[in-house]
Amino acid sequence: MGLLRYTLWRLAQSIPVLIGIITITFFLANQIPGDPVEIMLGPTPAQAQVEAIQARYGLDRPAHERFLTYLSGVATGDLGHSIYYDRPVLEMILLRLPVTLYLTVSAFLFAIVTAIPLGVISAKRRNKPADHVSRIVSLIGVSTPSFWIGLMLIIIFAFYLGWFPARGLPLPWADPADIRGAETQLQVIRTSLHHLAMPMIALGTLQMAQITRIERSSMVESLQGEYVKLARAYGVSESKIVRKHAFQVAQLPVITIIGLGLSTALGGAVLTETVFEIQGMGRLIITAINNQDYELIMGTTFMFGVAFVVGVIVTDVAYAYIDPRVAYGDE
Amino acid sequence: MATEPDPQTDTTADGSESGAGEVEARVGLRYTLKQVKRDTTALMGIYTVGFVTLIAVLAAIDYYLLDYAVAEMFWYSPVQDPDEVQRLLPPVGMENQFGAGVIEHPMGTDHRGRDIFVRLFYGTRIAITVGFMATGIGLVGGTLIGAVSGYYGGWIDDVLQRITETVYAIPFLVLVIAFMTAFGRDLTFAMIGVGITSIPVFNRLIRSRVVSIREEDYIEAARAAGVKDRNIILRHIIPNSFAPVLVQATLQIGVSILIVAGLSFLGFGAQPPTPSWGQMLSASRNYMLPAPTFSLWPGMAILVTVIGFNILGDGLQDALDPRINN
Repeated sequence: MGLLRYTLWRLAQSIPVLIGIITITFFLANQIPGDPVEIMLGPTPAQAQVEAIQARYGLDRPAHERFLTYLSGVATGDLGHSIYYDRPVLEMILLRLPVTLYLTVSAFLFAIVTAIPLGVISAKRRNKPADHVSRIVSLIGVSTPSFWIGLMLIIIFAFYLGWFPARGLPLPWADPADIRGAETQLQVIRTSLHHLAMPMIALGTLQMAQITRIERSSMVESLQGEYVKLARAYGVSESKIVRKHAFQVAQLPVITIIGLGLSTALGGAVLTETVFEIQGMGRLIITAINNQDYELIMGTTFMFGVAFVVGVIVTDVAYAYIDPRVAYGDE
Repeated sequence: MATEPDPQTDTTADGSESGAGEVEARVGLRYTLKQVKRDTTALMGIYTVGFVTLIAVLAAIDYYLLDYAVAEMFWYSPVQDPDEVQRLLPPVGMENQFGAGVIEHPMGTDHRGRDIFVRLFYGTRIAITVGFMATGIGLVGGTLIGAVSGYYGGWIDDVLQRITETVYAIPFLVLVIAFMTAFGRDLTFAMIGVGITSIPVFNRLIRSRVVSIREEDYIEAARAAGVKDRNIILRHIIPNSFAPVLVQATLQIGVSILIVAGLSFLGFGAQPPTPSWGQMLSASRNYMLPAPTFSLWPGMAILVTVIGFNILGDGLQDALDPRINN
């Protein structure tokens, strides 16, 4: 029961944070220079048109009133209307969010799958050549701009070798009719993975490097624990000690760093989507900003916040699942 | 107090040599520098950071005081389009569809015929400035909020921590983009925006230090002696948190340089023709096929600079951690 209660408690805790996010985005959107009416209607609109627009978007009312309207709108799932796309903001977000989540989650999977063996080997062979290689790789990983990795991958693997496509990211569950050169769902999945490889690596490298560093130091510490000494004294084989005794304990800091890395990864998705011309949330917010589409700017910023908050809750619950003391300790 | 000298007095007392029989203290700036000197990686970090900073200072002098006079005298102007335009020349010795590179352009030329090397050189100014300024803003803001929050506790702590948590809850690149849309797209707001997003990092660090230091005997003593809260925070608590903050700040400079490069890549930050690395990468995107090396150089510059700060940070961390050295 502890875990469920803990989850609910964490969800309830996130409500003030979400209201805070809305406040910040509303405040920022209010500061954007330029008259929204003029942007919508041009420099010399008819008076009737101006009033109609002002009434529709509530621009004739004071800011705090509009804020409360917006807040209650968000609570009921109404994020406003995108002027640029002439569609509800929520509809645009629901169209683009899966692409960004697909990219980000894949990037994390790539990062975890490569980083954990690297970190474990590094810790096991501390100060040996394998450790040095792994540390240099992770040092370069944390120091390289993700968008530059993307550019280099495009130049090498798309332009020179022609192995991977340079732009776009179709979803694996897309309708085969919409994807060029695909007839069955299986081919759609193949095309999708083919497109995914390079942006996933570009976005995941930083996470990979960070997780490797944490995994290494955490494993080094765990391998010095009393229980490991005891297992050694009992004659348990070294590989079994690493797999069974040291590994699980060492994963707690790793989960924390994954949760915190989400913020970087979601921000990095904006850059990765720009490099690979992927139509996700990142491109949506840039389009919204370039077209001064206020409600779309607020909606996308808010949604990035929600994605991060949800991600952190998921990692917190995972943490509590592995280490039950967390769920029972916080009452 | 005897086993842990105040780092503030320790940093200023560089000249005075301690007694021969005295045990060396394992904290303070002098001890740290000694440890850093022993560590080759940290030394490499110091040299890299020093080298890049020196370039940035030279570029800044030439830009602010001489309006690129030195650049034009010895090389090419980093901002003016040349009279005799040779677009997208490859680096020396390499050949592409526009022919072989010439020796005056060791890294080739960009899409407007400007020398890439000179633009990289002058782009260092922007990278180093934003790195230090943004981190400085985050450091000062985060230290103050963290110290006040941790020292007073109670509702002040609650309010301040909820606010920084909320700032932290928006992915920081998105937050800075929204911030710059609202206030301005130029470099100043990029620095302020990145600085604000790094406040939570320093806040968390300082607050946890303060909460543990608050109960120390010498703080108790200072309070009993009637020292004002403000002075306790500024004179005792903040200097005592110096070590981890220094490490975090060094690493944060690298992070800030990466974020600002990303912002420039998206068109938020230094505006053309001012040379900045992110903006050069952004321009190079359209010429990846005819001039692939155009994209290579600015990325390498960012990589080398950020690696410098990262290994310096790691080296400092090892040097400042008494558990590691024995």
